[in-house]
Amino acid sequence: MSNTVTRIRLAVVAAAAGVLVLAGCSSSDSSDKSSGASCEPSKGKVTLQYWNTVNGMDKVVDLWNKDHPDIQVESKNISNDQYGAIGNALKAGKAPDLAQVGYDQLPTLRSQDAFVDASACKTAAGTESKFVPWTWSQAGFGGEGVYALPQDTGPMAMYVRTDIFKKYDVPIPKTWDEYTTAAEKLHKANPKLTMTFFDPNNAEWFNGLLWQNNANMYSYSDDKWHVTVESDKSKQVAEYWQKLIDDKLVRTDLANGSTQMFAAYQNDQMATQLGAAWGYTGIRDNLPGQAGKWSIVPMPTWGADGNSGDWGGSTVAFMKGGKHLYEAAEFNTWLNTDPEALALANEVGGLYPASTDGLKLPALTKGVPYYNNEKIFDVFAESSKKIDTDFSWGPTQKTVNLALQDAMAKAVAGDGKLTGALAAAQASALKSMDDLAIPATAGK
Amino acid sequence: MTDIATRPTDAVSPPPRGRRRPRLDGGGPRAGTIVAFLTPFFLPFVLFYLVPVGYALWQSFRVVRRSGGQYGTSYTTFGGFEQYVEVFQNDEFWASIGRIGLFGIVQVPVMLFTALVMALLLDTHLLKLKGFFRTAAFMPYAVPGVIAAIMWSYLYSPQLSPVVDLLNGIGLKPDFLGPGAVLWSAANVSTWLWTGYNMLIMFSALQSIPQELYEAARIDGASNWAIAWRIKVPIIAPSIVMTTVFSIIGTLQLYSEPAVLRQISSNISSTFTPNMLAYTVAVGNNYQQAAAISVVIAVITFVLSFGFMRLTSKRAGL
Repeated sequence: MSNTVTRIRLAVVAAAAGVLVLAGCSSSDSSDKSSGASCEPSKGKVTLQYWNTVNGMDKVVDLWNKDHPDIQVESKNISNDQYGAIGNALKAGKAPDLAQVGYDQLPTLRSQDAFVDASACKTAAGTESKFVPWTWSQAGFGGEGVYALPQDTGPMAMYVRTDIFKKYDVPIPKTWDEYTTAAEKLHKANPKLTMTFFDPNNAEWFNGLLWQNNANMYSYSDDKWHVTVESDKSKQVAEYWQKLIDDKLVRTDLANGSTQMFAAYQNDQMATQLGAAWGYTGIRDNLPGQAGKWSIVPMPTWGADGNSGDWGGSTVAFMKGGKHLYEAAEFNTWLNTDPEALALANEVGGLYPASTDGLKLPALTKGVPYYNNEKIFDVFAESSKKIDTDFSWGPTQKTVNLALQDAMAKAVAGDGKLTGALAAAQASALKSMDDLAIPATAGK
Repeated sequence: MTDIATRPTDAVSPPPRGRRRPRLDGGGPRAGTIVAFLTPFFLPFVLFYLVPVGYALWQSFRVVRRSGGQYGTSYTTFGGFEQYVEVFQNDEFWASIGRIGLFGIVQVPVMLFTALVMALLLDTHLLKLKGFFRTAAFMPYAVPGVIAAIMWSYLYSPQLSPVVDLLNGIGLKPDFLGPGAVLWSAANVSTWLWTGYNMLIMFSALQSIPQELYEAARIDGASNWAIAWRIKVPIIAPSIVMTTVFSIIGTLQLYSEPAVLRQISSNISSTFTPNMLAYTVAVGNNYQQAAAISVVIAVITFVLSFGFMRLTSKRAGL
């Protein structure tokens, strides 16, 4: 028996050693440069893989497939683990031809060598003028190539309970100063009422506010990233919200989009929400009893006639490893610029297009019944024109977002301040980039 | 905590020391037969246990390097103990260990003591409707951990919870999701989930005690209390040790309860428990560092569970 045991142990050790060797072979990934891919049509029928998180996208794809028997597209919904699925596929060398990637995740994926430059594809490269400028700039990394085509955006605006403002005779604010004043008045008139909520676990939203104030977080020069997550501009935003929180003029106990958040709106406990274009269905569908009470106006600005912000939105990226770049470019261009495709994507998936022509869709120029038949999309279209085109994201954005959230949550719980959270996020950016061997330094 | 049930139980009840088993291989079966019988175990064992463990170990000794340009091209190379040094220097890591340490020191004894009392009660003749109580106590274990956490999150939430409404009504203002309370709210979910499971293990052990022992004890004049404390508990000590080891492992691997509560409470950070930290680091594409964190968690788990077993096997004479 003991001999058998020894033999089995040896076998186990040998197996483990074999595993180590195998793992060693597969993990050293030295890949060649991604630029300069050629763009020639393939011969015969081609099937493209397209991964996305949009509900109903298969219907849009069907529309394409019907007219293009030689370029068939297979749509796969990866919404339960978007970046996990993409990241694992990349590691396994099985990435799809096209994948939906949020603007803020583009640099992260590019630092993993995820994309291929489709500049050589004239159809795709010629679409620059068709998109809202900032989207093209981010998708092409400021003109370095055509790594992705913009799909949708999340220009921000303010959702307002006009009935509450009317009831307490408070004017709807246009600037952040007026927003504070209005918050004070409403809370004074009704202590159960607060202006809005600050969700510390929503860095994406907070980034939208930073973007509005031109608080650019990254730049690249002299072979180094310069990190300015903590800057005068970002601190201005943090201090503003810290004051609202300190004065208890906003709630901090609600997670965005949660049942609890909608319950608070349902019970008339909050008067505004700083939301994105894609959020209009959330309010409409979760608060059916408040039809006619909500309106959408431009978000408060820093000073008169200031910028707006963007929260969310995605691109469709050309993934490395795809064998049919020409066909992928054809489909991608159609998907994100063709009026019929955009109309359907808006109808089934609620996408607010990044294409300037898309903003003129019939569905996006009509009044919306829930919102008093107001032309709410005009507000978002205006917002979209006032978004800083120089803003860019970092190569470890997810880590920085999480660090920002953790520190903002502490600040909200009374441990530190929101400006300190920016410092924590700055430190996290530098450390995470160092961990991934990305040269970085604190910028001015 | 979910993979507790899959741990091989022979790990916690080692064969008796100092006694040799008789040799069984005299005129044994042919090698082919052995392979045929062992393959169904060893194949998955190698594929889903040894390979991932080996891969994690391998990754934990690698570091990322990059060549050229703003984004460059990354590759990994041997980095010795660099990742481990970073784990040990990471304040977040030690904070998460401290958090679950506190969790374990309080939650594990509370849960196991409750389970033991419930098992002993079920084993007496005092209780009616035993089948009902046994099933009722075990029922939470049938609920997946994530679902349980979602259910409890509704009970904790000030907006939706009838419990909070009730407590508000009598003047208490509980904040189950506050910075100080949220760890214990998570502990409560774990306790609710696992007490019945632990109770059942202890109860099964109690059932296997021969009735003659009790008769003998009664003849000697032992009270019910004395029988429970002096006879039942010492006899089922191995089961108690086993449930403790499972609970230590479960605590160190705590993930789903806090991860779900995180959806409604910002007081649970992305690095709340060691496993959450490992996940967060992996999400940031730092797989090598995440691997090192996982290996350290595994080593701590081994040391604690085997340490506890050694400690108790001497005491309880197991």
